Amino acid sequence: MHEFSLAEEVLKIARQEAEKNKALAVSEITIEVGNMSGIEPDAFKSALGLLSDGSILENACINILRIKGKGICVTCGKEFEMDRRVDTCPICNSFPSEIKGGNEFRVVSLIIEEE
Amino acid sequence: MCETCGCGKPEGFTIHEPKHTHEHEHTHEDGHTHTHAHEHEHDHAHEHSHEKVINVNIDILSQNNLTAQMNRRFFEGRKVLCLNMVSSPGSGKTTILEKTISHLISSRKLYVIEGDQQTLIDSERIEKAGAPAIQINTGSGCHLDAHMIESAIKKLNIEPNSILFIENVGNLVCPAMFDLGEYKRVIVISVTEGEDKPLKYPNMFESSHLCIINKSDLLPYVDFRPEEFMKNAALINLHLEFITVSAKTGEGMSLWYDWILEQFDHSQDH
Repeated sequence: MHEFSLAEEVLKIARQEAEKNKALAVSEITIEVGNMSGIEPDAFKSALGLLSDGSILENACINILRIKGKGICVTCGKEFEMDRRVDTCPICNSFPSEIKGGNEFRVVSLIIEEE
Repeated sequence: MCETCGCGKPEGFTIHEPKHTHEHEHTHEDGHTHTHAHEHEHDHAHEHSHEKVINVNIDILSQNNLTAQMNRRFFEGRKVLCLNMVSSPGSGKTTILEKTISHLISSRKLYVIEGDQQTLIDSERIEKAGAPAIQINTGSGCHLDAHMIESAIKKLNIEPNSILFIENVGNLVCPAMFDLGEYKRVIVISVTEGEDKPLKYPNMFESSHLCIINKSDLLPYVDFRPEEFMKNAALINLHLEFITVSAKTGEGMSLWYDWILEQFDHSQDH
């Protein structure tokens, strides 16, 4: 359940950005979660929902954008989409030799309410 | 970072849905009270013209990664080899460290940072073996993070040209994400675990450099096939090295000691 400590980091980032921009409230937060980042999106969303009570994110809508990973097949060299780290090439069933993307875990944007 | 990690401790939090959900508490005439939540369609009367989009683009682990980088610079500056030992609970990390300390203490300065949810048991074992140890109790937290290591190294007074072992919390999931500033990550698994562990916990195997297969003295009694395990691990991480040991009997341990000293030399090249 590292999702709780990560949700706390998100709260910190939101707080900092809201302060910097003199926001009255945050109405929406968008977070990118790569499929291979090791984050369970549902657990993370629940954790953030719990922690945001009474905070600047209290009434914010939490948008989670899933990012697919791209594997380079070790056998045929073709690029294929990955939902999980153990996904194999759909053509030759081999594991990837290299993975591009899918490890994203970042706060992309906020929609804030201003005076 | 982890003080609020709510594992097993949901008390103190109230559940808040990030939608427009309202909770109502009613007391009925017969005296019973219940709470229920429902969603409403709202007509928002306020105007949206005062809303503004802020592009943030901040990596959520950036604060941890920054602190980990500072720890790494500290180790490089002092020529300290730092190894982060990860595994499931019960793989034998502490026993491996006890044996390692007894073997290397005469030639190297050694230090250990112990991570556990509770108790000082492991740090006491390590101190008994002869190395200064700091225990980090994470409470309900499931991993060590770079800030905890930063605080621990302030207390350890680490001498230059030494070796620091970090024994992470026994957990194959959460510690994978948290860079501590180590030079190499060592994953320990024991032959009483499944051959499919690398496929079940790919992130940890992917981020490790060496895999110690421990409790080799039990191989005749279990179904674990080291070749099969290594094959699975190689599917996830082609560069992972393996050393098979029995910390109990000492079998294979010299390979591990050689590996440590080799890494020590490499880390000095920075």
